[in-house]
Amino acid sequence: MTTPLIGVSNSILKIKELISHVANTCLNVLITGETGVGKEVIAQSLYSESIRSSENFVKINCAALPETLLESELYGFEKGAFTGAHKKRPGKFQTADKGVLFLDEIGDMPLSLQSKMLHVLQSGEFSPLGSDQDFKTDVWVIAATNHNLEKSIAQKMFREDLFYRLNIIKIHIPPLRERKEDISPLIEYYHRLYQSEYPNSNGSKPDSDTLAKLCQYEWPGNVRQLQNCIKKQMVLDSWAKIFDELPKEQESIPQLPEGDQQNNVPLSATNEFATNEFATNQTTIISEFVDLSTSSEKLFEDISLKKIKKLASDRVEKEVITFVLEKVGWNRSRAAKILKISYKTLLYKMNEFKVHPPVK
Amino acid sequence: MAGTCRLLIVDDNEDILSTFYEFFNSMNYEVKTAIDGFVALKVLRDKSNSFDCLITDLVMPNISGVGLISIVKKEYPHLKIIAMTGYGDQPGALASEAEADVVLFKPIDLFKIENTVSELMNLKTDKQK
Ligand SMILES: Nc1ncnc2c1ncn2[C@@H]1O[C@H](COP(=O)(O)OP(=O)(O)O)[C@@H](O)[C@H]1O
Repeated sequence: MTTPLIGVSNSILKIKELISHVANTCLNVLITGETGVGKEVIAQSLYSESIRSSENFVKINCAALPETLLESELYGFEKGAFTGAHKKRPGKFQTADKGVLFLDEIGDMPLSLQSKMLHVLQSGEFSPLGSDQDFKTDVWVIAATNHNLEKSIAQKMFREDLFYRLNIIKIHIPPLRERKEDISPLIEYYHRLYQSEYPNSNGSKPDSDTLAKLCQYEWPGNVRQLQNCIKKQMVLDSWAKIFDELPKEQESIPQLPEGDQQNNVPLSATNEFATNEFATNQTTIISEFVDLSTSSEKLFEDISLKKIKKLASDRVEKEVITFVLEKVGWNRSRAAKILKISYKTLLYKMNEFKVHPPVK
Repeated sequence: MAGTCRLLIVDDNEDILSTFYEFFNSMNYEVKTAIDGFVALKVLRDKSNSFDCLITDLVMPNISGVGLISIVKKEYPHLKIIAMTGYGDQPGALASEAEADVVLFKPIDLFKIENTVSELMNLKTDKQK
């Protein structure tokens, strides 16, 4: 099932209109925007509105694979093309034929592969590794990146000619914090979706105060982060906890551009929420595990993620074990069952954390 | 002769756009303008409009000039196309590949463009004879 493109902001409405006008042109598209803004959703929408929707939508993440693997994934290989190539294998260009090839994170593609990509886009032909045959390819290329490619070009990290060839249609998706009016419909949509997926979950939707706070937050992880919060809410049913767990920004929130302000940000939310309170919150948590009052040299010696992880998890484990033991009247075998650990492990942990039944 | 020629001019620079508008208007062309490729496409698809010639910049947001040219070539093949570019060779080369009739490099003398337009229009009327 493809995700519908949810949103009521001007930017999303304009993108929807653009999609409907260009979906059947099959011209190369470049989608830009931060991670989690919905670049893949846009690519899917283009595909499903096009005449190619009955063919394949093939995705490849250019950042996730090492160079040689990426190359063989894209173009395929013949049997014996390299050590380990026991069997011939078609590449994405072949599986995507007549359909869509979605090149995610194109900005991370190594330069050497960029030249080959340019050649394929120019000629419409490619040859699998270890083959001397050229194959015609008819793919609609949709590329996406969170990089500023103009900058990458200046730094000689991205080929200018490839950029212009991809950038025939350009779709930029602004970060969620710049289109806050989309937050509410997104919550509505995903709340309903998760409710239907997990009928037993009972997380409530945010009330207007909570919604105001949600709109005030920066959403560095954009829609994906919001989605995760809603998922968590279905389990925890506590927006307060969700807020506590949000990564906190230390800098103050940059002012919104003028025109954006009127119709979205509810006034009841204050900036404090995102700044001071969070910064102190952060140092409070850290200071529970390391001594922040020492010099930074000494401090950096003390900070070891492994060590802190152990300390933090020990503390939570101790609390949970005590909590469960109290609930079951210190019946240790029942507690072990509830905690899903062995009886022996429980005894060991009780000893380690010095958890003792109250003396009567 | 030029009086009957209907022009669509596309550039994301408003100053250039209004200069072009004034100029071609004063030369008795019928002129419409668009601030980017997407607006231009909507103007073209509006049935109440029809054009003889498209003059377009190449590097623009949403639908680039190259994209616009490709679409126009397919959907409105009778339209003559002049591409203008100020960004090195790449976009110009792509515009030629997309079969723009003429590619000009900025800065461009307005009279020179007007000349190019009327030449293209003459070619067209010659062919129609
Ligand atoms: N406008 C939107 N409507 C519905 N879901 C969205 C929207 N934007 C993003 N999402 C969801 O958020 C998540 C991240 O989107 P994705 O397209 O993977 O982002 P990107 O490719 O930009 O990193 C996905 O699960 C996607 O379904």
